[in-house]
Amino acid sequence: MHLVVCAKQIPDPDTPPSAFKIDEASNSVIPAPGISPILSQFDGIAAEAALRIKEAGGDDAKVTVISMGADSARAAIKQVLAMGADEGVLLNDDAFEDGDSYTTAKVLASAIRELGDVDAVFCGRQAADWDMGQVGLLLAEELGWASAIIAKDISYADGNVSVQRVLTDGFETVQMALPAVMTVSNEFGEPRYPKLPQIMAAAKKTVTQYSAAELGLDAADVGASGSRLKIEKLFIPETDSNVEFMGGDTPQEQAAALVQRLQADKLI
Amino acid sequence: MTQATSKKSADDLQSNTFVGSVKLLGAWWAPALWLSGMGVFASSRAGSTPGRDTFFNINQPWIVYVFMAALVGLLTYGFVRHASLWMIGRPTDGVFRNFRNRLQNVGRFGLGQDKVRRDRYAGIMHWCISSSIIVLTIVTAQVAIQDDTPLDFLHGPYYLFFSFYGDLFGLIGLIGVGMSLYRRYFVSHHRIRWDERLEDHLIIVGLGLILVSGFVVEAARIIETELVSHPDWARWSFVSWGLAHLINSFGFTTGSIDNPESQILNLHKWSWWIHVIFAFSWLGMIVFTKLDHLIFAPVNAFFLRTDSPGRLSEIKDIEEQEVFGVGYIQDFTWKQLFELDACVRCGRCTEVCPANIAGQPLSPMHLIQDLKGHLAEVGPSIQEHGHLTGDAGRDVSPIAMIGDVIKDESLWACRTCGACVQECPVLIEHVPTIVDMRRFLVMNEARLPANAQQALENIEMRGHPWKGTALERTTWMDGLGDVPLFDGSQEYLYWVGCSGSLVERNLPITKSVFKLLREAGTSFGVLGQEETCNGDPARRLGNEYLFQILAQQLIETFKAKGVQRVITNCPHCFNTFKNEYPQFDGKFEVLHHTEFLAKALSDGDLKPKYAVTADITYHDSCYLGRMNGTYDAPRQIIELVPGANLVEMQRNMSKGLCCGAGGGNMWQEEIGERRVNHVRTEEAVSTGASQVISNCPFCIQMFEDGVPSIQPEEEGRIKPFDVAELLETAVFGPASTEISDPEE
Repeated sequence: MHLVVCAKQIPDPDTPPSAFKIDEASNSVIPAPGISPILSQFDGIAAEAALRIKEAGGDDAKVTVISMGADSARAAIKQVLAMGADEGVLLNDDAFEDGDSYTTAKVLASAIRELGDVDAVFCGRQAADWDMGQVGLLLAEELGWASAIIAKDISYADGNVSVQRVLTDGFETVQMALPAVMTVSNEFGEPRYPKLPQIMAAAKKTVTQYSAAELGLDAADVGASGSRLKIEKLFIPETDSNVEFMGGDTPQEQAAALVQRLQADKLI
Repeated sequence: MTQATSKKSADDLQSNTFVGSVKLLGAWWAPALWLSGMGVFASSRAGSTPGRDTFFNINQPWIVYVFMAALVGLLTYGFVRHASLWMIGRPTDGVFRNFRNRLQNVGRFGLGQDKVRRDRYAGIMHWCISSSIIVLTIVTAQVAIQDDTPLDFLHGPYYLFFSFYGDLFGLIGLIGVGMSLYRRYFVSHHRIRWDERLEDHLIIVGLGLILVSGFVVEAARIIETELVSHPDWARWSFVSWGLAHLINSFGFTTGSIDNPESQILNLHKWSWWIHVIFAFSWLGMIVFTKLDHLIFAPVNAFFLRTDSPGRLSEIKDIEEQEVFGVGYIQDFTWKQLFELDACVRCGRCTEVCPANIAGQPLSPMHLIQDLKGHLAEVGPSIQEHGHLTGDAGRDVSPIAMIGDVIKDESLWACRTCGACVQECPVLIEHVPTIVDMRRFLVMNEARLPANAQQALENIEMRGHPWKGTALERTTWMDGLGDVPLFDGSQEYLYWVGCSGSLVERNLPITKSVFKLLREAGTSFGVLGQEETCNGDPARRLGNEYLFQILAQQLIETFKAKGVQRVITNCPHCFNTFKNEYPQFDGKFEVLHHTEFLAKALSDGDLKPKYAVTADITYHDSCYLGRMNGTYDAPRQIIELVPGANLVEMQRNMSKGLCCGAGGGNMWQEEIGERRVNHVRTEEAVSTGASQVISNCPFCIQMFEDGVPSIQPEEEGRIKPFDVAELLETAVFGPASTEISDPEE
């Protein structure tokens, strides 16, 4: 069985708000000084899900981690390799830059087709930077596979996966025949802490790299030029809070003043 | 140099000097040395009349030598048996380096029993017993020498003196035995009964019987040979002389030519044999019981590390290793296995362990004993299989050392505060042993508490352990004017640390230190955004690999920037830079801010002008205090603040109790009856002080967290502050500081 984990390297969402800055002219995020990019945490959970299936599936199961991104994304790939994935693939090409969910799914699908024998793909429910939550579904569409998103539990038996999905008002269990795409939510559980021998082994593993041409993709169809999504304006919303103390000597007077004030502002 | 401000405590393992050792030897072992000297002297001038027949009334004295041979055989067997188990361990680095210091440690801790005396009652008791055993062994040896060698000295004035001190130390021994019996049988819940075994009773009751039977033998002989004919000799054996009078008052028959089977002679004969058989059996127990500490404790004092207790061992060539840390008993060094045998189950370590005090699942004594039991259980089969490496075949036992024998949660409950190591009278070093097992759990098994894992991941990803902080490393600089960045031109690097810059409560402390450094005219700079975790929490949580990466990076940064002297905010950073970075060729002069500020005060660079009229109690952080021996500098500062009145807590200085955050417990859920910081806060509150002053951002946070639980009423709460905050108020006046409301 061949399982694929899609992993994205993102700017650390745990950056202090004061250090988060954007360039409004180019509609892009300015990397915060001294803060390194990290593996999107949902993708770590997706890796955990794939590894659990692999461990339950026996020795012939293999996990490949794919990341589309700059050379720095090797760190994210190594992290998943250290968790126990077997092979790493980096999709690195200037043409891939500034794409949207659609082009990302397109590039990932090409890579998965290139790998050939893939049975299942695991993505995070969303990348923790833009929080779109689109790539998993679009990837399934592109591949023509079944999909189940926002999984909290996944089990495998006889060529089928049973996926427990998180809904707004409960859970839903669906069964799919492989091949299929799944996106994994934080309800699934924490990703494992890598063991040092595996970290050492991961450091020695080579990461295969593909460019657009190697995947048979036309540069015009991917990245910024292939994007269907255009950012009109990127800005940090202004948040403002004012505190006004209600006058009055007794709690009753204060309450009355509050009601008047709220009515005046048409809030009640 | 600021050595003057970091005066080492007498308890500090580093501070022993040769003179000190000699003094201790004098205080504790003068009687034995003195008496032996007298023996040699007297033997050279022998020739007067008083004396006795060495084997009076005993028909087959040669049997004693059979016993002796058996004892030697038994001791040899025991040693070989023990040693073969130790040897399954890994090699121990540098146990013969610093030979002189090691000999001094044998003198100070082995012969001088310096640690034993930390409990006064036990110290006196133990000295009575041990000195009595030593002196009476010398007494007995002299009898053997008199009998079996041409030397003839046991007569004349020396014989009388010999009789006197033999009785004196017999009496001292009995006093010790009495104290011991009292403690064991009449004091409820005493720590020595936390792991009580049959041997404990046998050892102490046996020793009592040996001493008593010895006096009976001597009394019976005195009745027969001296009481009538030489009462002036008999009086020198003052205890037996009294006993002889007592026995005589019952009117037993004494021996004569017509009555060779008299009651007294029979009493003498029987008690002599009892005495001899008990004495040899008792010595034989060395092989099978905790009595082996007679030998192992002084030897373990020799093996005691001579570097700082704040330094953990480095895993050399970590990338070449197959197994990390200690997961199997044979992964310990032989020194670590050896010291298991020295444990006497006295319970001192457990008594002072903060986890144990709070009812959490760790007792250092039981941990050591459990490891010792595990070694005895699986050691022989490991010997049989040879010294195995690699995971395959290491598991010769179905019992897992970590998990079955030692529970994971016990290892995680450790604060690495060093209180157990500080108290152990036989010099066991528990903390490195615990951290070695943590290393296995973290690096080899990736099995660790979720919060600890998060802290480590955060250090890996973000270079600090404070997940979710809204602060930046430069936030504290707001409102301080020009904050110089270190560029190599300044004398000192002021190292703020993650806790000093990323935790809200600690910003006022960082600001205080900064203002005081500036006021004192210090040439210093900071690293700002370039600071990163120095690795202390990673190392103590067991991720040595992460620690080494961080340490090497930071050492490179320091060297590139030309850092030579560092002032740290935090005692953990201080300890890591000072004691652990030299392992990676990072040698810097490191001062904790309290040391620097105390020096600045004594040099007159800072002048405390404003009074802080308050009763203040001082909490020693483990890594400034016990690990580095700096007890005085912070107290000097407090004492120089006008109006400040220092009130000590019951547990202070080297006996200080951890705040509960050490060893990575800042980021763990506590399991157990209570939280350590609540216990410590209670102790601070009970002094009646209005402020509890410390020197460590973790301690301060732990107090801040503990106070509302201990004092639910906001009115009259004790306020936790750093020494620097106190001094800032004294130097700049109350208005200049956020000291009154750290929440702001």
